[in-house]
Amino acid sequence: MKDDAFSKLHPAVNLLFFIGAICFGVLLQHPVYLLAGIFASGVYYFFLNGRKGVKTILLMIPLFIFITLFNPIVNTRGVTVLFTYFDRPYTLEALIYGVAVAATFVLMILWFGCYGKVLTGDKFTCLFGNLAPSLSLLLVMVFRMIPNLLQKAKQIIGVRSSIGKGTAGKSSIKDKLGSGMTVIGVLTSWALEGSITTSDSMRSRGYGTTKRTSFMVYRMTKTDWILSFIMLLLLGVVIFFAANGGMNAEFLPERNITPIKGFNILGFIAYFGYLMIPTILNVKEVIQWNISESKI
Amino acid sequence: MEHFRIENLSFYYPTSKDKKSLDNVSLRIEKGEYIVLCGKSGSGKTTLLRHLKTVLTPHGKRTGEIFFNGVALNDVDNREQSSKIGYVMQNPDDQIVTDKVWHELAFGLESLGCDQKTMRSRVAEMACYFGIQDWFHRDVAVLSGGQKQLLNLASIMAMQPEVLILDEPTSQLDPIAASDFLNTVRKINTELGTTVIITEHRLEDIFPYADRAIVMDSGKIIADDTPRNIGKLLFEQNNPMFTAMPTPVRVFYNADGDGDCPLTVREGRAWLNKEFEIIPQIAKILCKNIDDDIENPALSLKELWFRYEKDTPDILRGVSLEIPMGSITAIVGGNGAGKSTTLKAICGICKPYRGRIKVFGKPVNKFKSGELFKNCVSMLPQDPKSLFVKNKVIDELAEMTKDKNKINEVAETCQITELMNNHPYDLSGGEQQRVALAKVLLTEPKILLLDEPTKGMDSFFKETFAGILNTLKSQGITILMVSHDVEFCAKHADRVSMFFDGQILTTETPQKFFGGNSFYTTTANRMSKHVFKNAVTAENVVELYKKNKGGTQ
Repeated sequence: MKDDAFSKLHPAVNLLFFIGAICFGVLLQHPVYLLAGIFASGVYYFFLNGRKGVKTILLMIPLFIFITLFNPIVNTRGVTVLFTYFDRPYTLEALIYGVAVAATFVLMILWFGCYGKVLTGDKFTCLFGNLAPSLSLLLVMVFRMIPNLLQKAKQIIGVRSSIGKGTAGKSSIKDKLGSGMTVIGVLTSWALEGSITTSDSMRSRGYGTTKRTSFMVYRMTKTDWILSFIMLLLLGVVIFFAANGGMNAEFLPERNITPIKGFNILGFIAYFGYLMIPTILNVKEVIQWNISESKI
Repeated sequence: MEHFRIENLSFYYPTSKDKKSLDNVSLRIEKGEYIVLCGKSGSGKTTLLRHLKTVLTPHGKRTGEIFFNGVALNDVDNREQSSKIGYVMQNPDDQIVTDKVWHELAFGLESLGCDQKTMRSRVAEMACYFGIQDWFHRDVAVLSGGQKQLLNLASIMAMQPEVLILDEPTSQLDPIAASDFLNTVRKINTELGTTVIITEHRLEDIFPYADRAIVMDSGKIIADDTPRNIGKLLFEQNNPMFTAMPTPVRVFYNADGDGDCPLTVREGRAWLNKEFEIIPQIAKILCKNIDDDIENPALSLKELWFRYEKDTPDILRGVSLEIPMGSITAIVGGNGAGKSTTLKAICGICKPYRGRIKVFGKPVNKFKSGELFKNCVSMLPQDPKSLFVKNKVIDELAEMTKDKNKINEVAETCQITELMNNHPYDLSGGEQQRVALAKVLLTEPKILLLDEPTKGMDSFFKETFAGILNTLKSQGITILMVSHDVEFCAKHADRVSMFFDGQILTTETPQKFFGGNSFYTTTANRMSKHVFKNAVTAENVVELYKKNKGGTQ
């Protein structure tokens, strides 16, 4: 992963951001807002993934076009009929609505892509460790078990082939299945054997003696508090304008999109500013670094 | 004041009613003592240690009492026991519960319900003391075995125990990681005054520092004395455990030395210096040269190059080796140098991108699939458990062949006839290794590859194992082993090859090879180098000592 400034913040701040970004990404269907969302998520996705990210972002374009064109086929509502086929109308409104749906879709993919990179498994369990200590411990143990088992499976397969019990010389599917089952059987007994030791090790370190607490490696710093405050403030503004109809957009059966004019611009600025927080942090860090480097 | 007091403890496992696993054990352990518990596998060491912590105590019938700080152990509540009695087990992997290093360090503290502030400072403290800062945020899965075991120790020390119990903590580690680990344990004992009770095969590293050594045999304590005196006791009793003593001790008593018994290499050198003030007449073990031209090698590797992934560095960088038929060859070398990878390449688990492997003069890729492993090449893996797929030893062997006579024959050779009806997982490490060997031998290999065969074996089993290898050799089987165990290689290999920097640098007889080295060599050689040449095993030193002393009398 790239060195991302936003990921260094407290997981709670990360989570707050994604909840806001994803919820409003779904709720706000206004084209301008969607565009802002795609822009912000795309840029941040690029920051997180570098060049590999560009490929994913480019892949979104055919997806976008496909959903857009497909929507009028299933949805025939709308007043402006562009053409008819098999006695079904293909309407302009449905097409525009398709754009909105496609945009939401792409937005979600990009935001969730970012989410996966930022809020890794351990951060997530760390966040909920205090609420549900046993459940989060269980998750942690599962996280550990999966790669462990895969590695052991590989080892067993190697070992069996080096005593001539591998799949190499066997042709029939039945034989291959059989040897696969053997490996699974060994893995199971191995895992069970290991779990006895693990449970001994847990009990010997006091598991179950009192209510567990949860160690937080992450601390809320001043920056975390300030950013949370800014984020909540911006969200408040967005909610205010959304509640007052400043961000309404209807497509079917008739287009009715509130123009972003006058006072409503403030709502847009708040939303866009909110979404750009991770990017701004990253840009800020790059600039700061360059300045301090030039001083050396 | 005493920390633990054990009074007349006897214990039977429910499965073996007639045999006592602990037989009338009485023991006092003072605060701050460093105690080594030794004995053959199955002598009851682990059973005794597990009795010192209630949650780990095995089920079964028991009589006798255990007191912790003067209070009966059963009356000490679980929470107190958890924090005050730390217990490190054998397997580094299975002991770890969580997926991140920092989380593992905090696990015990979380269980005890500590608050954030305490946890923070304790975890930081431990990470610094054990030098874990650099890998604090890593996934546990990427750590080496030595790091994992150190993490286990650190996460227990974070609870600030008064007693640290370690059950063969280094049996799964390579020698360098093992001696690092044991040094850390010693540091904890001397710097923090934590009482340490440890069972260990690698006595050379801990014997000189221990306050007391306790020897167990079939559930009884047969000796309990300072390490310096214990050797004498065992030697006089002609106890098989004597083979486990550090090399200086073995040399001293076998040579009938006078005075104080040396425990370390330094003391051993001083002792030999005193004995041989003038350079002795016979100061050399005669050894023959190896011939470089091998006719019809059983196995020949030529310029093997291999890397695991396209953009990782090369692991094998031109490995060339020829192995004569019917010999035992050992490849020694550092950790992660590519020794095991070489074996994997021979077996076709890894495919070198350059170079050629010939088995009995035939390139391996000319063998049809599976043919290579029929009656030709076979490998004993590092972890014998990865070979076991059945519930009984006999079924394990039956998986390989239907021929009952052959099974019996092999079982005889590997000395496992009595274990036939056991579950392979219930056996001790050394027994598992022998069952695995039997299974591998049933493919009737002409070339046997062994990957770290002595890992986790006690000295007693090692001798048995060496005996088996020699039997196989006399049957004409060619053996190639990869090992960290220099003592074992020095004693039993015909040829030793040094692996370094992805290549095999030299091949020599053990006497020449270890005799020429001053760091990477056996204890016996380091101890006697200044007096005798090419004496690489305790037996060599004793032989020369006796010859010279006999001559001067």
